[in-house]
Amino acid sequence: MVPEVLAGLSDPIIMGILLGGLYILIALGLSLVFGVMRLINVAHGDLVILGTYFAFFGMTGEILGHRLTIFGIDPILSLVIGIPLLFAIGFAIQKFLMSRAVQISMEAPLIIAFGISLIIQNICQRLWTPYSRGLTTSYALKSFSVGVFHIPLVYLLDFICALIVMVILREFLRRTYLGKAINAASQDRRAAQLMGINTDRVYAFAFAIAMATAAIAGVFLGLTFPFTPTSGVSFLIIAFGVIIIGGLGSVLGTFLGGLILGLAQTLGGHVLNELGLPGAATGQYLFLYVMVLVVLGVRPQGIFGR
Amino acid sequence: MGDITHRLRGGLIPLAAVIGVLAVLPIAGAPRSWLLYLLLFFIYLSMANMWNLLCGYSGLISLCQPAFIGLAGYTLVIGTWWGLPIHLGMIIGAIVAAAFALLISIPVFRLRGIYFAIGTLVVPEALKYAFLIWRPVGGTIHGGGAGYVLKGAAGFSTAEVYWLALGIALASAFCMRVILRSKLGLGLASIRDNDRTAASSGINVFKLKLYSFVIGAFVTGIAGTIFYIYQQYIEPTSAFSVRWTMILILATVIGGMSTEGGPVFGAVIVVFLHFLLARYAGINLIIQGTLLIIMMLLVPEGIMGFIRKTRPYRSLLELATSR
Amino acid sequence: MREETLLKVSNLDTFYGGFQALWNVSLEVKPKEIVALIGANGSGKSTLLDTISGLIQSNKGSIEFEGKSITNLDPFQIVTLGISQVPEGRRIFPDLSVLDNLILGSYNRKARLKREQNLKMVYELFPILEERKNQLAKTLSGGEQQMLALGRGLMSDPKLMLLDEMSLGLAPIVINNVYKALKKIVERGITILFVEQNVRRSLEEAERAYIMEAGRVVLSGDVADLREEEKVKKAYFGI
Repeated sequence: MVPEVLAGLSDPIIMGILLGGLYILIALGLSLVFGVMRLINVAHGDLVILGTYFAFFGMTGEILGHRLTIFGIDPILSLVIGIPLLFAIGFAIQKFLMSRAVQISMEAPLIIAFGISLIIQNICQRLWTPYSRGLTTSYALKSFSVGVFHIPLVYLLDFICALIVMVILREFLRRTYLGKAINAASQDRRAAQLMGINTDRVYAFAFAIAMATAAIAGVFLGLTFPFTPTSGVSFLIIAFGVIIIGGLGSVLGTFLGGLILGLAQTLGGHVLNELGLPGAATGQYLFLYVMVLVVLGVRPQGIFGR
Repeated sequence: MGDITHRLRGGLIPLAAVIGVLAVLPIAGAPRSWLLYLLLFFIYLSMANMWNLLCGYSGLISLCQPAFIGLAGYTLVIGTWWGLPIHLGMIIGAIVAAAFALLISIPVFRLRGIYFAIGTLVVPEALKYAFLIWRPVGGTIHGGGAGYVLKGAAGFSTAEVYWLALGIALASAFCMRVILRSKLGLGLASIRDNDRTAASSGINVFKLKLYSFVIGAFVTGIAGTIFYIYQQYIEPTSAFSVRWTMILILATVIGGMSTEGGPVFGAVIVVFLHFLLARYAGINLIIQGTLLIIMMLLVPEGIMGFIRKTRPYRSLLELATSR
Repeated sequence: MREETLLKVSNLDTFYGGFQALWNVSLEVKPKEIVALIGANGSGKSTLLDTISGLIQSNKGSIEFEGKSITNLDPFQIVTLGISQVPEGRRIFPDLSVLDNLILGSYNRKARLKREQNLKMVYELFPILEERKNQLAKTLSGGEQQMLALGRGLMSDPKLMLLDEMSLGLAPIVINNVYKALKKIVERGITILFVEQNVRRSLEEAERAYIMEAGRVVLSGDVADLREEEKVKKAYFGI
């Protein structure tokens, strides 16, 4: 049985790596907010899904059961509006809610983010029904073959996009005044204030940028997987898993964490399939979650953690 | 409320009176809707008390409670398929929940604060998926998954479930009272303020947190089983759903975290909302989420905390405790 | 009409961590002066600087800069108005380069316009910073980090610089270099208020001084007079 299981391993491996790209994309926003403000935004997954639904709306024009025919925009193109929209939402959340929460107690940011999470889930449910959806564009269903590998096109797009966003983000943080200020504020808030940096505004921008990446992640998520209003939690856990496995505070770690989780999912799914076990699709998530818990139990600081 | 009655001369009498009234309601012919309302209140109160113990007193933001509720519920229900009497099923269900808490603490207790919270978030989600795939008893059904009817519940009248619920609510309050005034309670108080200073004064932080966690799981488990005796049906998505956590957080935050009486207020309001918002089921979560955010920002100490700060309360307290 | 006083602190009360840290503190700094703030640990010197910089809110009293009230403004606003603090322990950004640290110093809009100009001045004062400009700040020695911190403070184009314990942890030669640089900074028209534990040194470098004890100003005046004061002689010179 072993050779049979190993046969056809090449597809899951390459797909796992590419899928890892999507997970990196999703985790970037969570990682940024954590790195700068030491906050784990538990509403992150739901905000990503909000981005997905916005792209869905742009694509199908469906809302509250009606269909507005003036739309029909490709999801990636809809980011032109999607990104600024989520940017603004992120800015507002940090400026008006989180900044206050942090001063109230340790639990307050978590609880408020939880509240935001519920509100978003409900909004998506009302506007777009609880049923499973997908961003089914023409290219979302295409696959192509490269030698031995048989790959869905979206997975490749996920990976390429992840690389692009990672590079842009890194350059932004390194080269611009705001980027440097974000860096500085995360290293030493007081000293940053003494530089004349308005740290409250800088934090709001950081959160907003994180949400902008969430908008992008949302689109690619929708192209890759079906989604429902409650999918957010799963992706929060995955994003958390990425930064835990990779090690909090390490960019390389986030990258590798994403790849590892992607591989875990596809290889796990492959094994389940080969073993003829039912529910391979659901089982993949279970596999991932157990892996996150195992890593937490064995090496909580992650592979590259400090 | 706990501290006033504690000090009033013969202070337990009013409390006993209230409990007495609650206890005789089913016999006194109260309408069924009242009983259901109160039944739910008792269940939520027990769970909220335990969550308060964990978050408000032990510094453990546990998002893991649905795991205990679901596991206890499933143990009970599956037990009835195997002919296990319901009362026994309740106890065993709670034991399963507590044992699971012990198991989970291994990975999860390595994390602190908010990382602990997310770590615990994973657990009920994982269980949900597990029970969506796995069908322990009964024939395979379309779509798989473990949705079951509770067998043998016909023998239970509403009154009986009501008294069980009242029982666990009292037990949870009693449990809180005992713990908070014991060595465990003192240890927890210092842990909540600062993990490290507590550890350096010789307190075994891990052990105390574990006690809270496991006890909390046990009591929450019993309350969960009572819920399923009431509902008579269990299925994975709702059993392990984050809506349980939402109820607990809402009740504790509104009522007042880290106060003994807080969860009482909170549970009243949560049940009230439950029935009030049944009409607005579509925007139910939006309302509750907004309420949570507003409470957390404007009145973080909750209703009980707020009352404690007001002058009427203070005067009342002085009046009651002066001789 | 030119203002006589650059910085005027009047009857300041400040609470920190639940306790009162400053009691009725008053202080004045005139343009182009070097003023020392002296006192033992816990006497409130750093708290005073932090309150002036806006990091701590005051409960009573006022702070005026160039005749305008700056009490309880946000820290970043105070930097823009022309007060720059070099904090205790340097607090440079360890994972950023020397150049990035300096660039960040010019974050406020007014300073950004004069960035290249100020950068040149900083490199003239501290040539070693130009040599090491691409190195990570954490790889610098203690003395170099102090110079970086000073340079960073200068980049914000200040009129008044607050220096908190500059010589902490530095070798005597390095301290001398730092004070030499300080003199050059004053020559360029920047006013200095500095906190220093080494009393003898402070009285050598400053023109005027304030002595603090337990959150209050207990003595103040020209340095020459202070040296003769009985209390100062006894307390600090053991005479």
